[in-house]
Amino acid sequence: MMLPQPENLSPAGSSLLNRRDFLRRSGTAFGGMALAGLLADDHLLGSPIRPEIHPDRPFSARKTHFPARAKQVLVIYCTGAVSHVDTWEHKPELFRRHDTPMPGAINTFQGENGNLIKPIRDFKARGTCGKMTSDLLPELGSLADDIAFIHSLTSKTNTHGPGETFMSTGFILEGFPSMGAWSTYALGTENEDLPAFVSIPDPRGNPQASINNWSNAFLPAQFQGTPFSASKKIRHLFPPDKFAGKTDSDGRDLLKRINERHLQKYPGDSELAARIAGYELAARMQMSIPEVTDLSKEPASILKEYGADDTKNKDRAGFARNCILARRLLEKGVRFVQLFNGSYAMGEGVGNWDGHKSIEAQYPGHAHILDQPAAALIRDLKTRGMLDDVLVVWCTEFGRMPTFQKGASGRDHNPAGFTGWLAGAGVNAPYSHGATDAFGWKAEQDIATVHDFHATILHLLGLDHERLSYYHNGINRRLTDVHGHVIKEILA
Amino acid sequence: MPASIFYSFLICLPLLLNGKTHWSLIPPERPSSGKSIDDFITKKLSEKGLKKSKEVPKRILIRRVYLDMLGLVPTPGEVAAFVLDKREHAYERVIEKVLKNPSYGERWARHWLDVVRYADSAGFETNHERPNAYHYRDYVIRAFNEDKPYDQFVFEQIAGDTVGQDAATGFIVAGPKDIVGGKDPLLKKQQRANELADMVGVTGSAFLGLTVGCARCHDHKFDPISQVDFYSMQAIFEGVQHGDRNIPLTAKQKQRLDEMTTEENDLRARLKKFIPVVDGKRLGVPVNFKRNLENFDPVEVRFVRFTTEVTNNNSEPCIDELELWTPGKDPKNAALGAKLTSSGDYANNPKHKLAHLNDGKYGNERSWISDQKGKGWAQLELPESTTIERIEWGRDRTGRYKDRLPTKYRIEVATEPNKWKVVAGSQNRKPFDKGETEDPVYDFANHQEAEAEQGRAWQAKLKELQTKRADLQKMNKAYTGTFNQPAPTRVMYRGNPLAPRDVVAPEGLSALKPLLKPLDLKPDAPERERRIAFARWLTHPKNPLTARVMVNRIWHYHFGRGLVATPSDFGDMGFRPTHPELLDWLALEFMKNGWSVKHMHRLILHSKTYRQASLPRKDGLAKDAGSELLWRFPPRRLEAEAIRDNALLLAGGLDRKMYGPGFLLFVPNSNYARNWVAKDDFKPEDMRRMIYTMRIRMEQDSIFGAFDCPDGGQAAPNRSRSTTPIQALNLYNSGFMADLSKRFAKRIAEVAGEDPGKQIGRAYAWTFGRSPQGEETKETLAYLEEHGLPALCRVLLNANEFLFLQ
Repeated sequence: MMLPQPENLSPAGSSLLNRRDFLRRSGTAFGGMALAGLLADDHLLGSPIRPEIHPDRPFSARKTHFPARAKQVLVIYCTGAVSHVDTWEHKPELFRRHDTPMPGAINTFQGENGNLIKPIRDFKARGTCGKMTSDLLPELGSLADDIAFIHSLTSKTNTHGPGETFMSTGFILEGFPSMGAWSTYALGTENEDLPAFVSIPDPRGNPQASINNWSNAFLPAQFQGTPFSASKKIRHLFPPDKFAGKTDSDGRDLLKRINERHLQKYPGDSELAARIAGYELAARMQMSIPEVTDLSKEPASILKEYGADDTKNKDRAGFARNCILARRLLEKGVRFVQLFNGSYAMGEGVGNWDGHKSIEAQYPGHAHILDQPAAALIRDLKTRGMLDDVLVVWCTEFGRMPTFQKGASGRDHNPAGFTGWLAGAGVNAPYSHGATDAFGWKAEQDIATVHDFHATILHLLGLDHERLSYYHNGINRRLTDVHGHVIKEILA
Repeated sequence: MPASIFYSFLICLPLLLNGKTHWSLIPPERPSSGKSIDDFITKKLSEKGLKKSKEVPKRILIRRVYLDMLGLVPTPGEVAAFVLDKREHAYERVIEKVLKNPSYGERWARHWLDVVRYADSAGFETNHERPNAYHYRDYVIRAFNEDKPYDQFVFEQIAGDTVGQDAATGFIVAGPKDIVGGKDPLLKKQQRANELADMVGVTGSAFLGLTVGCARCHDHKFDPISQVDFYSMQAIFEGVQHGDRNIPLTAKQKQRLDEMTTEENDLRARLKKFIPVVDGKRLGVPVNFKRNLENFDPVEVRFVRFTTEVTNNNSEPCIDELELWTPGKDPKNAALGAKLTSSGDYANNPKHKLAHLNDGKYGNERSWISDQKGKGWAQLELPESTTIERIEWGRDRTGRYKDRLPTKYRIEVATEPNKWKVVAGSQNRKPFDKGETEDPVYDFANHQEAEAEQGRAWQAKLKELQTKRADLQKMNKAYTGTFNQPAPTRVMYRGNPLAPRDVVAPEGLSALKPLLKPLDLKPDAPERERRIAFARWLTHPKNPLTARVMVNRIWHYHFGRGLVATPSDFGDMGFRPTHPELLDWLALEFMKNGWSVKHMHRLILHSKTYRQASLPRKDGLAKDAGSELLWRFPPRRLEAEAIRDNALLLAGGLDRKMYGPGFLLFVPNSNYARNWVAKDDFKPEDMRRMIYTMRIRMEQDSIFGAFDCPDGGQAAPNRSRSTTPIQALNLYNSGFMADLSKRFAKRIAEVAGEDPGKQIGRAYAWTFGRSPQGEETKETLAYLEEHGLPALCRVLLNANEFLFLQ
């Protein structure tokens, strides 16, 4: 176990998590070591592992809890709740029982449900493994040999905002750190000239839970995701024109001298030193960000493969460019990249996968934008050998009902069962884990929670989800709250 | 060991293991020795072989006091005056001056708002703004400025509605609320349970420093708080719902409102001649959705009937209120209390009832709808014949609904049954247009230029008055929650709202039973009594937590770290106090002095501990690197608000207007799920102190948000203090800061003239409270000569010395 140095801990961490101190305080009426053993066995108090963070180099790479299978993460997050029965989980019964009532029908988010309705596209066997996936996403489906599907995911909520937040932070309430923030807090990054955690919003706008998806919440702000995309740049990256050029660089020099002179009075003050370092990193980012976001040197073949040359559909071309950006960021060593497909700004189901009204009218368009670019990205990562290090996570906030809503031609929210998948570093593929019932309504085989999903992702990164914690308002908070089990079958 | 036994064992951990109660639950005791802050601090330091640092130079001391107490730097004049003031009580005078300065309330209220997770939006996916939440923010600012006794401050936040302090209960509902109303019953219950848990959680953490919220699903794992305790506390708030409540306008506001109404009526009368004449008749304004006036010569009525023949969208007509106004200086609405009949009422909707037509309440929620598409009548019968001269009616006085508006209608009156006479109706109006404005279309073209000019001026004045009146009328809406008698509270098994168990009565924490009399209320106790009894329980002098928690917060904000380093967790998972005797001494001192927060400031500010230099010392760093024992004043970076406020202050652009609706740092929008995009163009009203921004959950100000600014999603009793490259980019490159640099430069040049030496002298005095020295002077001058004053100001506003409290 890596023992943290108390002086490098956050103040809250240092006394609280000094186990010896804890046991000294509490160990008088009970054998201290026996208690320690007991607590460790039951994982009730765990023994949190605190990363050693240097204030002036907060992003330097840090040790994992145990050997990692994956070094970097790419999350492809399709917002709006993708219908699993129309994409990844094949339910022959749903074709057979098309347009008949579903036994045990219930009221869901928007009210009453109508009949069972078959998927809007046929399913075909894909890859050498013969996995049945929908014609809606043929390109992604063709990667089935590289994918471990989890068909038995469940969510705690059937509302988009809290659902998205749950998938990104492990809580349906606001104010908790996102998966990327936890990962970079624990691990730092391989390239200190770029942000450790980048969120790439869809060209159509931000997802519904917006910043919750990349928030640091109570973790130090260093670990917040930096949102930018191929089309939407980082704000304030460059000086206003009137201060540009030599005025800017000389100004930075003067600032450095003023700050260093001030620091001489406070020798060794890490906060002051960190601010000086912050301006230097900012300056390096002025070089590194334009470089990484400049797609002009990408060959035409790549643009074509991703669909970035699509002149007919600018949303698709935009998403494809974001996919290329994701690859470039991962190439540069960025620890955690979160790529969004779907936004909320345009309203229900228009810019995302929320297909209540008319799934036949809405889904082919969304699928067209997602399929080729995302598949090209994964293929590209594979060709470049990057899937040895990069874990690819495909997710959405919850699933959709196998029925149509009463009086509509779309499906309502379904948190009782849905699909997410993993590919790449450390993943056992091809593989399919769990299943929903005959229609695709409720997860019933090997039921998995979002916490399990998170625990598995952290595990692949070499992190114990029960020991990666941060003290906040009375609790050692974790990404997985007090839940979560690593889905062992997913591990290669 | 079976899990359940293990759990119960854990619950008793704090009690069992030490054989005694957890420290914070034991009443504070007057320490045997030690009569001042310095005594306690010195004692601990000498145990470690450390001494306090020497006193900080006066120049830095006054800057520290200003930033700490007001959040604003002193002017060079104030610094110089203090440095030169050799009188005995010079420092005391500075302290008294800052305590009287209203900026103090703005600074310290911000701290409290962090503790209580205040924000101006609902959060969750809709994240609608709460335009009326600011009343609570203003209440907190006033409370600090008036030095409201803390026990009273606490009481009012729980039960202020019972003592004429309505705005104070904004505390209870300051948290996020999921306003998406799905049809799934589980979802609704979950939402409500989350709201209540938020209220219980924040009450526990803000006042008691206990993580009561942890006991929602199971007994608290570390502190003696049972799940029953959680639900007993939930019973206190069970009757509280999120939402606006009407709070009384002040006498001054009422008077102003009356004046405006008179002025408006006067202007309307004068403008009458500009209403165009069509077919020999002056047609009135078209009907609108909000409010329609029907003026006629005074007429005696016993019966009034409103008959709709057509509506704007062919739906059943809706009227939210029908008012019959008597003539004279003090008109009365004669409709109140009249008997109602109608052609038929919209079925089965509690919002739409015939009785709502004259219930004195506006809005769709309290309206009448006919049962026939496009038509229907409603009739009022007064107890006796009454003279009226004006009728007012509307579809939805709140302006939300744009349907069901009678566009062809007539109003008839009678003194005897069925002897109707038409007094008003759509035939007197111009045809329905968009229904947006309640004022006539005036035509100035057919009048002489001078006359038309006058008319336009009157019209402009009228519009201005209407806006002001609407703003003022909104002032009586405050997001302070509504109160209803609730059903009895039940324990929810594992916190699952679908698994109710035993009924519990409203009650305080059982762990404090040995010290405090229980509330002893029945499960169905009246709603108000619950909150009153609980507020008294909280503020009882024998409560061992309330005073300790607050003095620790005050200490925390003065020194950057509390004596207990977890200000909202005095439980077993929290820190032990570094100076337990001092904490007790302060708590007793606080209560003895009428819970005066300003008294505590005086004690701290006067102490030698506070007045120490902040420079590091080798011996101190070696033995106590975190300066927890206070061998120096611990330096720290300013918060987001202080950085923005001071940059504006130096640029001469800080608008000091206090109180009232906040300003928005985002582009306003009305999407169902608000799409908050940071704005880049700032108006003068955006230049107020940052406490007056509308804090939007899940969003951050695009420049200062990166400086660990909490968004109110969770309580933030101890802000993190990070350093990121994004902070550097925002402060160095944003257009906002560039603009302030330019303004700062202009202000310097106005005072210092053209002389570069004088300019940098002034710039340093304002930014750092000192003169440039030696090499620094040369470098700064060189930069100034080459790149100009605005560029230099930009550099200075980014310097650590400007951004750090030292």
